[in-house]
Amino acid sequence: MNPRILIPILVAAYLMVPLAFQSNDYILGLIVAALTIAGIAVAWALLGNLGGMVSFGHAAFFGVGSYTSAVLTMKAGFPVFAGLLMGGIGAAIASVATMPALRLKGPYFALAILAYAHIFQILSVQMEGITGGAGGLLSIPRFPTVLGVDFGGKLGGYFIIVTVVILAALAYDAIRRSTWGLALKAMHDSELATRVIGVPSTQLKAVMLVVSAFITGVVGAFNAHFINFLEPDYAFSGTWTVLPIAAAIFGGYRTVWGPVLGALVIYLFDQLLFKEILPHGHQLVLGALMAGMVLWSPGGLVPGLIRRRKGGGAHAHA
Amino acid sequence: MLTLEGIQVSFGGVTALRNVTMNVAESETVGLVGPNGAGKTTLFNVISGVVHPVAGRLSFRGIPLLKEPEYKRARMGIGRSFQIPQPLHQCTVRENLIVAQRFGAGRRDESRIDEILDLLKLAHKADRDAVTELALTEHKALEVGKALATDPSLLLLDEVLAGLETAGKRAFMQTLGEVRDRFKLAMIVIEHDIPTISTLCPRVVVLNFGELIADGTPEAVFRDPQVIRSYTGEAVA
Amino acid sequence: MFELTLQALFSGLLAGGYYATVAVGLALVFGTMRVINLAHGELVLLAAYVAYAAEARYGLNPVLCIPMALVVVCVSSAIVYALLARIEEDREINSLILTFGLGIILTNLILMTWAADIHSTTNAWFLDSVVIADTLFAMRSEVVFFVGGLVLMAAVHLWLSRSWQGRAVRALSSNRNAAKLMGVDPRKTEILSFLVAGALSTFAGIAIYTGKTIFPALGHIITVKAFIITVLAGMGSIPGVLIGAVMIGVIESFTVTFAAASLQELAGMVLFLVVLFVAPSGLFGGKKALSR
Repeated sequence: MNPRILIPILVAAYLMVPLAFQSNDYILGLIVAALTIAGIAVAWALLGNLGGMVSFGHAAFFGVGSYTSAVLTMKAGFPVFAGLLMGGIGAAIASVATMPALRLKGPYFALAILAYAHIFQILSVQMEGITGGAGGLLSIPRFPTVLGVDFGGKLGGYFIIVTVVILAALAYDAIRRSTWGLALKAMHDSELATRVIGVPSTQLKAVMLVVSAFITGVVGAFNAHFINFLEPDYAFSGTWTVLPIAAAIFGGYRTVWGPVLGALVIYLFDQLLFKEILPHGHQLVLGALMAGMVLWSPGGLVPGLIRRRKGGGAHAHA
Repeated sequence: MLTLEGIQVSFGGVTALRNVTMNVAESETVGLVGPNGAGKTTLFNVISGVVHPVAGRLSFRGIPLLKEPEYKRARMGIGRSFQIPQPLHQCTVRENLIVAQRFGAGRRDESRIDEILDLLKLAHKADRDAVTELALTEHKALEVGKALATDPSLLLLDEVLAGLETAGKRAFMQTLGEVRDRFKLAMIVIEHDIPTISTLCPRVVVLNFGELIADGTPEAVFRDPQVIRSYTGEAVA
Repeated sequence: MFELTLQALFSGLLAGGYYATVAVGLALVFGTMRVINLAHGELVLLAAYVAYAAEARYGLNPVLCIPMALVVVCVSSAIVYALLARIEEDREINSLILTFGLGIILTNLILMTWAADIHSTTNAWFLDSVVIADTLFAMRSEVVFFVGGLVLMAAVHLWLSRSWQGRAVRALSSNRNAAKLMGVDPRKTEILSFLVAGALSTFAGIAIYTGKTIFPALGHIITVKAFIITVLAGMGSIPGVLIGAVMIGVIESFTVTFAAASLQELAGMVLFLVVLFVAPSGLFGGKKALSR
């Protein structure tokens, strides 16, 4: 990770934002929500860019992560921070169930994952004993106070999610730069050639799926403990799929920080601006953004900015 | 080293390989010839794991291969080059070799990669894109290079000389000889050019309509009436 | 018990009819452009809402709304096509995202224009129930549009197999380059397939308006269902699509009758996954869903 990019981000994340907004719960809440979307967006971009698989059902992993953590902390006495990890693991396990879908071509995979999302949602309604059924779970435990810092409040929650997102982005970057990243890139258009030189292509894709699901699960778990409430329609809502995709596309899903930037911009604009102008149809702007990006700047916003700074011509490589 | 017994491959109604039985010893160089459509590339596909036979046995150094996927066979030491070069997309020449070495040989050794690049005369193109910035000869060389980077003991070369003109052919052939001697490899070489094969390979095997019809020294094989008939197209018994 | 089963079968069959008209449209576009139009369901819904608007405003019989809806849907389809044609690289992924975005735009436009309330036709003739063979019940609209759907699909099938343009569509689907070399103009053929799909969608939209209830989120549900059916059937087979659609219709109907209404979508989803993993070319062959 280029220190010239990482250091400003760390400074902004851990110093500037907290200092600027520490007493403004409303803005902090928005930022936390935007970062939640960002986390999923990074996970989605990782799967799409490295794994080469576009998913229309990441809400599946988000929901599974949320419920896993909520249930384990409420019914099995897990500590909340451990719950975050378990949320990731739960989603990772769920992704193993989706692995047969890896053999499918693009659109079929995308929609197979969507089917899983629907199935998990319906399952969470049916498994009432564990998940509280359609009524959902209330009073999910908040984050505790550790070393004198109250992680249960808005600021504490912010620190947790921003750390999760940064770690996710660093993981994405690390994979991208490794030999694995090279092999994954090559697999898009020359999979047979990679297999013949020893690359276990299906397994690599599977690992990307698991990693993407894990990250999304952790984010889902975070969300459950942050808002302390969960129900099937919310946990598996299409919004957790659509917004991250829009964010990743808008920000540039072939870059590491693009999805994060995209999430912040899109979510904040959506909540602060579009909702005011079009209270009922504000998601329309998201659709327009997605369509617009594909048509005019498929690389997204971040590569567009990089290109402008370098004076044009730099091809945004994966 | 490599043993095939009774290999049979069918695609739909067509039998591409019928009862093919042959052996290749360690460090042996074998030429594989036959008219177009005889099944030569299919044979390579069977050995490397791209195609599965409907009958027969295949083993490499005593280990049965048929259940192993392509990537495992590559790691076991079988290197394959394709007739139509298939470079890794979105990677430079060097990156192609790095991936091959990392996954096929299980190690990182820059010096070996440089050695391969020098041997195949690709060093000057090491950091160029493997798909868009190479000439035909260089593409062919890279095919061999990728296979070499996996530390193979057996190299399957599918018409690496096709499309090259005489001088280029001669130069590449010399390179292949150097490769073989430097790395002590067994090779199976598919070629149409008979003089080339005769020079490079002390043993030649002939396929026709999916069947092995001859196996011996180039002199013996190319005088075999059956072999001559298969090439000239007169009625095959 | 027997009567219940028979009724469930019958209702499922009728539902399968409409699902089929929607699915065939999606399959046509996929065949010629290799693109899955994720806004397809929204176009169907658009037709339904046009019918609603016309009926609510002018008291028009839904069938008379067809021409108006046809124009709206075909123009919209042409716009979708024009945008899709502008994609240059990474066609598969980008077209998915583009049409996904367009679908969201359409759904929200519908939401903004007509609000989220559910609607259905108020035309009594269509809502009346008919009794077949003294035991089976259906709404008149279900039967009328089922028969209409079959006729329409037979027409499309004939068109594809006999007419010159139909052959061009099939040629383009099976081998794009060869078709171009034979003189098939890909753009004209693609637009044609979009327009035919538009006509089918219009019909389906009106059918849904008269037979069921409509609401903005329905668009997405329709798209997903149509996609599931095309996968079940295997792209490239119209009779296959009809059978696949009826299968989904019947399974849903059985689930609602014998299990619980809330599990209706689940049945389809599970069937979808089962088929994807067990028979990825679909039950009736055709283009493969596998990447290798």
